[in-house]
Amino acid sequence: MASGSRPLFGEQQRFMLLLVLPAGLLMLLFQVVPIVIGANASFRDWALYNPKKVWVGLAHYQAVITDPAFLEVVLPNTFLFMVVSVLGALALGLALALLLNRPFRGQKLVQTVLLVPLMVAPVIAAIMMRWMFNDQFGIVNAVLEGLGFEGQPWLVERWTAFGVILLTDIWLWTPWYTLLLLAGLQSLPREPFEAAEIDGTSTWRVFTHLTVPMLRPVIVVCVVIRAIDAFRTFDIVWTLTGGGPGRSTELFSLYAYVLAFLNLDLGRGSAAAMIGGLIILVVGVVLYRVTDRIAKA
Amino acid sequence: MAMVRQPMLFANLPLGVRRLLFGLAIVGICFLFAFPVLWLILTSLRPESGVYYVHRGTEFTLGNFAEVFQDERVVEAFANSAVIATLATFFSLLVTVSSGYMLSRFKGPVSSTWFGTIYIFRCVPYISWVIPLYFVAQSWGLYDTYVGLLLPHIAVHICFFSWLMKGFFDGIDPSMEHAALIDGCTRWGAFLRVALPSAIPAIAALGVLCWLFTWNEFLFALILTGNRVPVITVVMAQFVTEMGLRWNLMAATAVMALVPAFLLALFGQKYVIRGLRL
Repeated sequence: MASGSRPLFGEQQRFMLLLVLPAGLLMLLFQVVPIVIGANASFRDWALYNPKKVWVGLAHYQAVITDPAFLEVVLPNTFLFMVVSVLGALALGLALALLLNRPFRGQKLVQTVLLVPLMVAPVIAAIMMRWMFNDQFGIVNAVLEGLGFEGQPWLVERWTAFGVILLTDIWLWTPWYTLLLLAGLQSLPREPFEAAEIDGTSTWRVFTHLTVPMLRPVIVVCVVIRAIDAFRTFDIVWTLTGGGPGRSTELFSLYAYVLAFLNLDLGRGSAAAMIGGLIILVVGVVLYRVTDRIAKA
Repeated sequence: MAMVRQPMLFANLPLGVRRLLFGLAIVGICFLFAFPVLWLILTSLRPESGVYYVHRGTEFTLGNFAEVFQDERVVEAFANSAVIATLATFFSLLVTVSSGYMLSRFKGPVSSTWFGTIYIFRCVPYISWVIPLYFVAQSWGLYDTYVGLLLPHIAVHICFFSWLMKGFFDGIDPSMEHAALIDGCTRWGAFLRVALPSAIPAIAALGVLCWLFTWNEFLFALILTGNRVPVITVVMAQFVTEMGLRWNLMAATAVMALVPAFLLALFGQKYVIRGLRL
């Protein structure tokens, strides 16, 4: 309960402002100010060693949104990555949560093992996967060849490389879903499940008609948070493929990074970053609306 | 604990077989999840000559670790990462605990404006503010310094952690604070001496997460630091390109980078699991 009816109105406002002041100041200096400067830079011809910074209007924006690499590779890659990574990790996480949601011996140990990917830095995860999927010496090809299949040059072809990136991401994030969904499962009331058992309802019907609807709020939170995070994935792509082969596995963050720091065109890089920011803002607001409605339904 | 008993999937099989299948499934899943890390550890223990056929040879060595630690840059990177992660955790908690408390205890325009701001900035991709932050850091003289890397790391967690912290404080009954206020305690007193102690498990959970996130972070360090402040994730990513063929050394460095995170997570596991119940 807020204590808004107290007479000390001014004092309360002051207390509230003081509580958020340090956080607000830091955000102003290190997020708001840079974004404003970035917006300014995106309208200028701003290369690292070109101090003139001529105003060019929307030229950079036009260049980015008419760039075939951006339209036909980066955007589809980013959204494909977002959908597959979120849904894949959600499905796997839900399955694991259901499996763990019953008492058995060694449950604590299993839980600890499943949490391992949470502690691993994305860069390290990418290095591990790069080594395992190495076309000459990797264990994956060694196993495949041992089984009589042919080894694949995993990171040299577009879709296999994209698959390895997705696999790494799903491995990294499945434990989050497991943890949150398991906590959600354990807080559900047990009566509906007991009633369903007495009625002899099939497992699948219990899952689709009871478990999933009751878990909906938790699932919604997981999906929104992860979808937004997936959009900005950088580390694993950088370390696994560097966007290659060619530029075929570039995601949005890497595209902006390459423009700004490898092509040294800070103006166009900022424009790409602004465009990506606007896209995810729209996606974020839509997701928030949709999921809010789902959660209340 | 309210364990939900669900009808079993293979109900017509005898109990023993069902147990066996369940056990096999659990062992298989654990193996798949742990395998990449196990493989990395195994690779880090192989000598130079054996590393290309990790699954065949039988020679093992600790020499890789010794060799990695002769590289001053690696040692420096470990120290930098540890210092920055620790300081970032301390300051992040300092600013987000109070901001989360405000969000939880007060309604009205100030609170809802702050909440809206947090939600929007949570959505902004890192790259969209780190590219321009590079200019800012350059012109403020913060590029490639401790402070220049530390402050963005504190700023980046404000949104997510304030939001988590609000959730934790929502779960704590405010009537004790009201009682303290009536007894003549100041608002700060009610916050610091009444609300804060009951939030300690949640704060511990956030502390563990914050340390791990900062230790594991890569993009900020890649853009905001050069040679003077190497951190471990950037040094490792450079290894991939610079000594791409010496997998045994790379694996040894990666294993060393995993150790602090593992220790912290083992120690903090119960807080994190309890703290993440949304």
